[in-house]
Amino acid sequence: MNIAKKRRARAIVVALAAGSLALTGCSSGSKNTSEGSNTDADAAKQQAVIPLGDAAASQGPAVEVPGAKPGGTIRVYQRDNFDHLDPAQIYVSDEGLLATLYTRQLTTYKTDKNGKKVLVGDLATDSGTVSDGGKTWKFTLKDGIKFEDGKPITSADIRHSIERMYAKFITDGPTYVQQWLSGGGTEYRKALPDGPYKGKHLPDSTLETPDDKTVVFHFKDPQPDAPFALAMAAYGVVQKSKDTKEKYDAAPQATGPYKIESFKPGKSMKLVKNENWDAKTDPFRHQYVDGFDITFNHQASDSTKRLMADHGEAKTALSFTNAVDPLQTREVLQDADASKRVVKGYQPYVWQMNMNMDRIKDKKIRDAITYAMPNKQILGLNGGSYGGEVAGGLMAPTLAGYEKGYDPYGKLKKPNGDPEKAKKLLKEAGKTNMKIVYAYANTEANQKVSVVVEDALTKAGFDVQKKEVDSASWYAQMGKVKNGFDLYMTGWGQDWPSASTVIPPSYDGTQIADGASNYSHINDEHVNSEIKRISRITDIKESTKEWQKLHHYIVEKVNPAAPVYYTKQLQIYGSKIGGAEYSDTINYIDPTRLYVKK
Amino acid sequence: MLQFFLRRTLGAAVILILISAFTFFLFFSIPQDPALLACGKNCTPDSLKIIHENLGLDKPVPVQYLEFMRGIVMGRDFAVGPCPAPCFGYSFANNQPIFDTILDRFPTTVSLTVGGAAVFLTLGLGAGMLAAWKRGSLIDKSFSSASLVLSSMQIYFLGPVVLGALVYSTNLMDSPKYTAFTENPAAWFVGLLIPWMVMATIFTANYTRMSRSTLIEQLQEEHVRTAKAKGMSGKTVFFRYAWRGSLIPIVTIFGMDLGSLFGGAMITEQTFSLAGIGRLAVDSVIKTDLPMIMGVMLFTATMILFFNVIVDAAYAFIDPRVRLS
Amino acid sequence: MTTLTQTEGTPAPTGADPFLSVRDLYVRFSTEDGIVKAVDGLSFDLERGKTLGIVGESGSGKSVTNLSVLGLHNPQSTEIRGEIVLDGQELTGAPEKTLEGLRGNKMAMIFQDPLTALSPYYTVGRQIAEPFIKHTGVSRREGRLRAIEMLTKVGIPQPKLRVDDYPHQFSGGMRQRAMIAMALICNPSLLIADEPTTALDVTVQAQILDLLKDLQQEFGSAIIFITHDLGVIANMADDILVMYGGRAIERGSVKEILTTPQHPYTWGLLSSMPRLSSDIDVPLHPIPGTPPSLLNPPSGCPFHPRCAFTDKVDGNRCSGERPALPAGRSAACHLTAEQKQSIFIESIQPRLG
Repeated sequence: MNIAKKRRARAIVVALAAGSLALTGCSSGSKNTSEGSNTDADAAKQQAVIPLGDAAASQGPAVEVPGAKPGGTIRVYQRDNFDHLDPAQIYVSDEGLLATLYTRQLTTYKTDKNGKKVLVGDLATDSGTVSDGGKTWKFTLKDGIKFEDGKPITSADIRHSIERMYAKFITDGPTYVQQWLSGGGTEYRKALPDGPYKGKHLPDSTLETPDDKTVVFHFKDPQPDAPFALAMAAYGVVQKSKDTKEKYDAAPQATGPYKIESFKPGKSMKLVKNENWDAKTDPFRHQYVDGFDITFNHQASDSTKRLMADHGEAKTALSFTNAVDPLQTREVLQDADASKRVVKGYQPYVWQMNMNMDRIKDKKIRDAITYAMPNKQILGLNGGSYGGEVAGGLMAPTLAGYEKGYDPYGKLKKPNGDPEKAKKLLKEAGKTNMKIVYAYANTEANQKVSVVVEDALTKAGFDVQKKEVDSASWYAQMGKVKNGFDLYMTGWGQDWPSASTVIPPSYDGTQIADGASNYSHINDEHVNSEIKRISRITDIKESTKEWQKLHHYIVEKVNPAAPVYYTKQLQIYGSKIGGAEYSDTINYIDPTRLYVKK
Repeated sequence: MLQFFLRRTLGAAVILILISAFTFFLFFSIPQDPALLACGKNCTPDSLKIIHENLGLDKPVPVQYLEFMRGIVMGRDFAVGPCPAPCFGYSFANNQPIFDTILDRFPTTVSLTVGGAAVFLTLGLGAGMLAAWKRGSLIDKSFSSASLVLSSMQIYFLGPVVLGALVYSTNLMDSPKYTAFTENPAAWFVGLLIPWMVMATIFTANYTRMSRSTLIEQLQEEHVRTAKAKGMSGKTVFFRYAWRGSLIPIVTIFGMDLGSLFGGAMITEQTFSLAGIGRLAVDSVIKTDLPMIMGVMLFTATMILFFNVIVDAAYAFIDPRVRLS
Repeated sequence: MTTLTQTEGTPAPTGADPFLSVRDLYVRFSTEDGIVKAVDGLSFDLERGKTLGIVGESGSGKSVTNLSVLGLHNPQSTEIRGEIVLDGQELTGAPEKTLEGLRGNKMAMIFQDPLTALSPYYTVGRQIAEPFIKHTGVSRREGRLRAIEMLTKVGIPQPKLRVDDYPHQFSGGMRQRAMIAMALICNPSLLIADEPTTALDVTVQAQILDLLKDLQQEFGSAIIFITHDLGVIANMADDILVMYGGRAIERGSVKEILTTPQHPYTWGLLSSMPRLSSDIDVPLHPIPGTPPSLLNPPSGCPFHPRCAFTDKVDGNRCSGERPALPAGRSAACHLTAEQKQSIFIESIQPRLG
């Protein structure tokens, strides 16, 4: 998942509206020593591989939230509109979170009685049956699953939901399953250019629905991650008879516990109970509150102030996705009352300083840059220890296979960089005073970052040429193969907790193209062949180990990008909200667990 | 009068066409592809091409412009569905009809503006008159310095301060919120009271200063002296003669303010988290949502032009020289 | 600098109390640059039904004097001393209410530029009727009828239609007639006409002057006629007061001033005035120099910096001593009567042609 879209919108809004009050990467947390045990526990929990659950684990109802009571309406303060409600168009986390309330997929994540995450069947009876060496995945639908209008969900609807993603109007969502079924790139679209709307369908050899209850995916290659991919909101089911194509994006039918009663784009949204949702079929979701009353246009500063003040309606309010305003973090944490109403956790993004390997071919120079990078200072300008954590590697703590303490370049020990070592390496490479073109986006935070980066690199003996780039088209410009820059920071996050959604898109040398996400243009034969090999390993535990090894190789032997920091999120909720808990699969507070305290 | 309005409407149409063309071509002159908005993770040149076709961006810009303009006059058919005139198309960002979205946001903006204007006109003109009447007095001096201080305030400063004082720390009032007037007039009033007050504070200062200075200027006019020479009382001279003359500059400024406020009070809406036209404008620019940018731009321009005509009509009402020439 | 104790003489005694009597009038404005001595010890009288012409350059204090009579000065920045008595009633220091009752009623004023002096926002009829309604308490309808009557009297054609016109729909001459109608609507005993014809065409000027004369006969008003143009005043006024630098410097009947002027300034005024009767080759003789600064007036005779005859006076009297204006027909000048006469006959009269 690209961090681009939401980040750039945020940056501009702040710059436009707040003027002098703009987000100035508050370093309040950087000297705070409370960066302690909690974080470690969170990380430890998250680095494990999420197991696949069986039929028993996939049964509803979900484990009760202790103390939860039904009733009440929750107020939700959101900054951005939900631009997409059509599941097939959903890729960003805001909309993904909302989708957990109104749409269901074949699979989903649940937390079991021991607090462990498990991937289970959602509409399907289990997390799928694999055969044919990992190429064929079969899912059986549960009994009693219905659409908003009371009609049962059948395999034909699942087929329709997949096939409509081939249609041209679906452009925003993920393409994993489509590509696995029908070919990579945009090749898959040729298999069904008009989607299912003109009577054509995918052949049974690709997608098979032998009866009302059974769906069989025949992938071209082994796809061990299929149940994880299908758990994405984008693969939520769409009723064939209610599919309004483009218009579905603003008025989808619900299959989850809540349905959309009204939606005024950019203004407000009301969710109410979906009476045709049956708790007995759902292993993960609850339906405690009567509904959600959402309004948009609440900047982080506004939602934070309202929730911190905890007056009136704000008592039963929260923001699904707004973080605590970095400028108010310290105030919130020092407030005896408000500090009890926060949750925090990792976001799936890693920020890295890409080194354009077409231009910087000597690894010694890349190592010098990596050593020189002032990670802690950069993090300090992006919210400090509540905005993230100094990164030692390129895999996020939310990713299976993440190793705490992995730090080949000593970034954790010397978080502000090691200019001496950098200088030495540069001298060894014979490139002292090397000219280096460093690009950064023209947001206030990035401009400040550029100053500390320039400073650190200059100390290490580089001749830094700074180039400011429009933040709105940042990723488009960095995504060009011939972008003309040596150094640029980008962020990337997983689509599910597997390195297969991080390493191939970012480091596969066969994927270098305009618009692709291999920003450092690494093209290493060993990496390329390993990506091909590991992608075919069907045992997730084994593949996780192999990804880990490949990660080490990339970081230590190639070093295409200097790790900068992992992102974290701090959220606050009203005093009458119960069940607030950070979810490391949703990456925000889990909305399905919430209830209103009486 | 009819001829006046016909002429003005025609002129406004020409201006709107110029603005639309300017905005449209300016949009395409920036190196930013609106298709990126709808391009997911696998944003390859191929998928961009599909989006270009979906959005009609594959056609030459002048053709796109003509189609857009034709849509406004005659309506258009989109893949999403038919779009009757005046059709501004569907949002690139969320596939919503532009015109409906603007109409949906408009009541918020109107409520903000009308309420705010009622407050700042009453207070501003009242204070201005009092200051001009008691020119040089303590009242005049204190009003003048107060308005100087207040007019240098900014909504994004004053807004959070007032919110902090009345809402967050004391809980005297709820956070500002828009409720439709037709739904609940009391909630409408209470919910917008803080934005009105904050917005009005800054405008009040301007109107105080402006009405004071134009009144003082008018009081020195010869015809005002004539009125006094005829034995008219101070009040008559002030209200009948001087006040009438100062209406023209006041109406001019008020018309301009109303026009731009109806076009969206960006900062006020932002400060109080209200979803009006101003927020729509900001969001559309951030999202490079071309049809929305065009829609909001033309809407705002129409508002400004509309109030220009109203102001001109008001001139005719106020000044017989305009009316009868 | 001259002292304020030395004042101008009183006008010639006329037996009965004058209708308007101005005594030792001082008007001063405070401005950012300092104190402006706009009127500096002025005295004059005016009888019922008579016309007094006040002549002088701009800044000589003639308009200020008359605004002070009506009390139209800005009370905050103006200091007024002296006496203004209208028909036995003291006006200086009178309460605003009293003055309001007199303005437009017992005393009225016609201003120089009728375009700016009439409000553009109200009909001519309404503006004319306003003082009548205010001072007599009649209804608006009656006021309108009276306005039509007055428009008829001042010679506006189709008065019943024109009463509803706005000032901008009138020609310059008609506007001035309307102003006159407005001033005369309450039969004022005192009419102050401040350059009422300056903004008008010459032909229209004559009509307006005739109109004023006719109306004066009908209403019996006393008129103060302010002008910088001696030609205009020749057939209007009974008496003339010449003002310079905020003071009266010569006083006399029209005939006396025009035929035997005594003050060098008056000579200058007359010489700089073109006459139809004079030969074409007689050049005009403008007065050299500029009008005096009222912020810092010249010492002695205010005219001495521009006067061509100071060498005929002994010592430095012209610049050191302020000449008095004796009562009756007189001029405030240090030249002796003989000197005045001989200079006038020898060098001034030929210029006048």
